[in-house]
Amino acid sequence: MNAMNDANPKTKVNCHDRERIFEDGSRDQWTALEAHALTCIECAEEIRAWKSLSVAATELRDYSDDPSLWPRIHRSLLEEAAKIEQSKSRWTWESIRRSFFVSWQTAAAAAVVLVLVVSAAFYHRYNLTALKTPVAAPSGDLLRNNALAEVERTQSDYMHAIDKLAADAKPQLDNPGTPLLANYREKLQVLDSAIDDLRAQAGQNPSNAHLRYQLLAMYQEKQRTLEEVLEVKR
Amino acid sequence: MEPFQNRPASEPADAVRGEDAALAAACLAGDMHGYERLYALQGAKMKNLARNLLGNALDAEDAVQETFLKVQRSIGGFRGQSSFVTWTFRILVNTCHDARRSRVRKKEVTSDDAAENPIPEQRAAAAPPTLRLALERALATLTQHQRDVFLLYEVEGFSHAEIGETLDISEAASKNTLFQAKKNLRQMLEPPRSADAAGAR
Repeated sequence: MNAMNDANPKTKVNCHDRERIFEDGSRDQWTALEAHALTCIECAEEIRAWKSLSVAATELRDYSDDPSLWPRIHRSLLEEAAKIEQSKSRWTWESIRRSFFVSWQTAAAAAVVLVLVVSAAFYHRYNLTALKTPVAAPSGDLLRNNALAEVERTQSDYMHAIDKLAADAKPQLDNPGTPLLANYREKLQVLDSAIDDLRAQAGQNPSNAHLRYQLLAMYQEKQRTLEEVLEVKR
Repeated sequence: MEPFQNRPASEPADAVRGEDAALAAACLAGDMHGYERLYALQGAKMKNLARNLLGNALDAEDAVQETFLKVQRSIGGFRGQSSFVTWTFRILVNTCHDARRSRVRKKEVTSDDAAENPIPEQRAAAAPPTLRLALERALATLTQHQRDVFLLYEVEGFSHAEIGETLDISEAASKNTLFQAKKNLRQMLEPPRSADAAGAR
């Protein structure tokens, strides 16, 4: 066994390097090992045996063609492709049906939510109105207009009735014989002035119930004052 | 002859990559010509590898057919992390392993040795039948991993990098496994001289 090989001065190998080169040797290392084997019987024999495996392995190559294999594979590929296509179309139909189902559910859920929101808003508004107005506010423009017309009509009748009282009390108020009647006249003048203002505001905002109630309170006060004036006359 | 001289001549890398990418694209598009081209380029190698792994031509053809079907089914999942051809061979090797396991279960053989290792069929070849048969029998005694690497490297001419991609191992592991496989084969086929000498004494 030679310890070192001098055939290739760049890559020097010996018997101990043999297996390492067998496992992962570079071209230079193989060249160096073969040069070393020229003078080493053991390495020469090992290299021969090692390479004989590669030579023997080539005998396991049998690339003879079987003409029936590709048509068989081709046929099965076409069948598989048809199956895949079929499952795709089934999937597509299924997915459309499923997405439609999901959309329908979503739409139904959205509708329910919308109804709830609208109901809540209506209920909230209704409650607020009810808190402000003891009289239930009719819903809808038609109902509101009808109610307003009735209020106007009632108010007009009430005014006519009060005007009749005022006409009865007018002689005393025009010539008040006592300080009490003079006070009643001043009070009635203030009430008339307030009534005129409220009527002007109510004309601008006919559906304002608060103005209507104030106006009603003024008329009631005027009615009471006129009744008191007539009491004084008697 | 050193091992490098025994390797098949490699094509220019760019051309190989281009062909590989074109094949993958065609198969991904469902183009049957792509599969036909894959078969024309690799079919014989695939069948040969399958035959060496399974021990007979019929099972090998079934494995190749199954491999093409698996490629067709799973081409959508191919991400190009390895070459398309090595990806295909990976499927083939796994298919052969599955077929062997399935065969073992079906046949319910009594002998573990006979079950685990394929019995090579007689093949007409120009080489001395004794050497080939001896090698096939010796291969049958190797571990599955060693057999895969030996067949891919020495018979089919794959590089260690390609074997690494195919078997999902490192290049160094492929080299080491091949070394161990050949060492075992050498012991089985041709006992070392020192042992002969010891026996003679």
